[in-house]
Amino acid sequence: MEPLLAARLQMTLTLGFHIVFACFGVGLPVLLLVAEGRYLRTRDEGWRTLARRWSKSFGVLFAVGAVSGTVLSFELGLLWPDFMGTFGSVIGLPFTLEAFAFFIEAIFVGIYIYTWDRLSPRAHWLSAFPIAAAGIASAAFVVTANAWMNCPQGFLLVGGKVVYAEPLRAMLNPASGPQVVHMILAAGLVAGFGIASVYAVGILRGNDSPHRRRALALGLAMGAICAPLQAISGDWAARVVARTQPVKFAAMEGQFRTQAGAPLRIGGLPDSETETTRFALEIPGGLSWLARGDPDAVVEGLDRVPRTDRPPVAVVHLAFQAMVGAGVALLALSVWVGGTLVLRKRLPQGRFFLWWVALAGPLAALALEAGWVVTEVGRQPWIVQGILRTRNAVTDSPGVGWVFAAALAIYAALTAATIIALRHLARK
Amino acid sequence: MEPEILLIGVMTAGVTLYALMGGADFGAGVWEFNTALRAGEKERALIYRAIGPVWEANHVWLIFVLVALFSGFPPAFAGLSRALWVPLLLALLGIVFRGVGFAFRSYAADSVRLKTVWGAVFALASTAAPFFLGACVGAIASGRLGVSSDGAYSGDHLTGWINPVSIFCAFYGVGICAYLAAAYMTREARNEGEAALTEVWRRRALVTGLWMGLLSAAGLAIIATSAQELWEGFKDRAWPAVFTSFGAGTFSIIALWRRRFTGAALGAAVTVGAVVVGWGLAQYPALIPPEITLHGARAPREVLWTFLGVIGIGSLLLIPSLVLLLVLFKGKRPDDA
Repeated sequence: MEPLLAARLQMTLTLGFHIVFACFGVGLPVLLLVAEGRYLRTRDEGWRTLARRWSKSFGVLFAVGAVSGTVLSFELGLLWPDFMGTFGSVIGLPFTLEAFAFFIEAIFVGIYIYTWDRLSPRAHWLSAFPIAAAGIASAAFVVTANAWMNCPQGFLLVGGKVVYAEPLRAMLNPASGPQVVHMILAAGLVAGFGIASVYAVGILRGNDSPHRRRALALGLAMGAICAPLQAISGDWAARVVARTQPVKFAAMEGQFRTQAGAPLRIGGLPDSETETTRFALEIPGGLSWLARGDPDAVVEGLDRVPRTDRPPVAVVHLAFQAMVGAGVALLALSVWVGGTLVLRKRLPQGRFFLWWVALAGPLAALALEAGWVVTEVGRQPWIVQGILRTRNAVTDSPGVGWVFAAALAIYAALTAATIIALRHLARK
Repeated sequence: MEPEILLIGVMTAGVTLYALMGGADFGAGVWEFNTALRAGEKERALIYRAIGPVWEANHVWLIFVLVALFSGFPPAFAGLSRALWVPLLLALLGIVFRGVGFAFRSYAADSVRLKTVWGAVFALASTAAPFFLGACVGAIASGRLGVSSDGAYSGDHLTGWINPVSIFCAFYGVGICAYLAAAYMTREARNEGEAALTEVWRRRALVTGLWMGLLSAAGLAIIATSAQELWEGFKDRAWPAVFTSFGAGTFSIIALWRRRFTGAALGAAVTVGAVVVGWGLAQYPALIPPEITLHGARAPREVLWTFLGVIGIGSLLLIPSLVLLLVLFKGKRPDDA
């Protein structure tokens, strides 16, 4: 296997794996806080039992998230030494901040999981606040580093060496705001709908109880609150991409030609040979309106750059469609839940609803992975947009293909083991 | 003061704390590996109770040092990533499996079969991780890595890291972890009122301590014969650390003998800490000897000051949190005993 391809696949695998666990690391502490907080207010032991059970699963998820995150921080250098060797000083700041946030999170995870019987209920509840805050903060910090790769700024490069840098300006680049908000809401969707899914499946299988309904409702609440906000943040993110990375935006939308009054394409299959996107449902002027707020505005197409500077359009477009599609399904569920709650003062009922909730977790994870494919594949062939090509950053160490093969086997085993561990905890 | 000196000081502190805290966690696994056929359930339970609440945090020191390295000295990070490709991947494998092995074993396994499997994974991986991390340290210290000042690597990608010093340090790393774990566990066992286990761990700590003393002397001999630059550094600058380590090691052995277990644990920590600091002093100002130096590889100074400021502010949150963690789980626990 070509080293560049192997290294990229390795990154896809390890990042795609880690990101799911990271989402639970961000979202689950919030649910723990709510559940244990309900216990403090109502003194209903059921809430405490729920939080205590979840805390064990959280321990497993956090541990897997921590080690898979460690893998990533090593891989930055092992796979992309030229990238880190050149720009480590520019993007070091968010990673340093993230290290501190991770530290705080790890410390209080230890305290939270092991002091259920030692601390007073209130003190124990309070110990979850730093976990939640640090989880959100570390996600925010690390995403700004990715945002910088999309919108690099805050440094001066002379002869391939960074001679001057403003790490804070690098961190606060135009892509940071929308990417951070989009990622944190995604974590809320994955964790919230993920939890709700597990209980929906249980209830569909006949394991119904007030305890399970309550757990489902709590997870569903977080997912349903995040879904509409995610739609808004997605629109924001897309506008920023259209402005700062027009080529990525064109690939997302399958827009080959620079064009006034560009249509919004729903579905469709881009063909790089003929430079057309076929089989799409086209809404005239829709894309121009979404990107620029004017249905007649000019939208830049892929033809703006030579073919060698374009990402694989089909992958980006299909991933984007998958993300938006999954998001719409989650949004519809959110609207249904919200509407029923307002009109009837209860949750929707019936098997159809439970099925939808059961699918919501996998859909949220699908949207998450597809979204990362959009932002990462959409930036290709660049590792740092417009400045460093991925091809020039990859390691020349031998055996990258073998490492990827080993990683594939190891991560498959890890996934299986994690599922076994979580199922085991769920049965207890 | 120059910011690169301050930053390397902070990083040395980070490596030291990783050795003292993360190293002890590895060491517990090393002992489980060595005693796999004999360790009783009670002994295992004590190990898991001791590590459980703190291992996640202990582990973050490694991330912290790694991040500081690529932020402050990017070419050094790139150079090490190239030159230590094989041992870093193997260490990473150890780190991953010792983490998940521990988590699955302690949170999610109550069948004997699962416990045995994850316990074995934890034990094996806990031994592999310090072995290969030790090899990395030795490979750097040996001065034979062939990394040029811009971070390019001219050595062999698969075997360039293997030399007498790196192989010695691999075993020495495992030994350090085992020694620390035994010294700490003696105290843990005493605090939990486990008289028989206290004796077991005390004997282990004494024996390992004495062996590590001999091994340290042998290590200096290896350095003197096969890493001339490093040996000069020890003679010039690092000798106070060597004496400190020797003194603290002797103190910890005597304290173990006299059953002063808190003193013995602290003594062991100073012994190991002085080894890490001694390594740093001996190769100063080289980061990857001979070509990559602190001054040559540093990021622009204003960037280093920003990092130092952030580290200072972050420490204001981190240090009280760490103290809270240690007080809760490693302080005196009259109510639990």
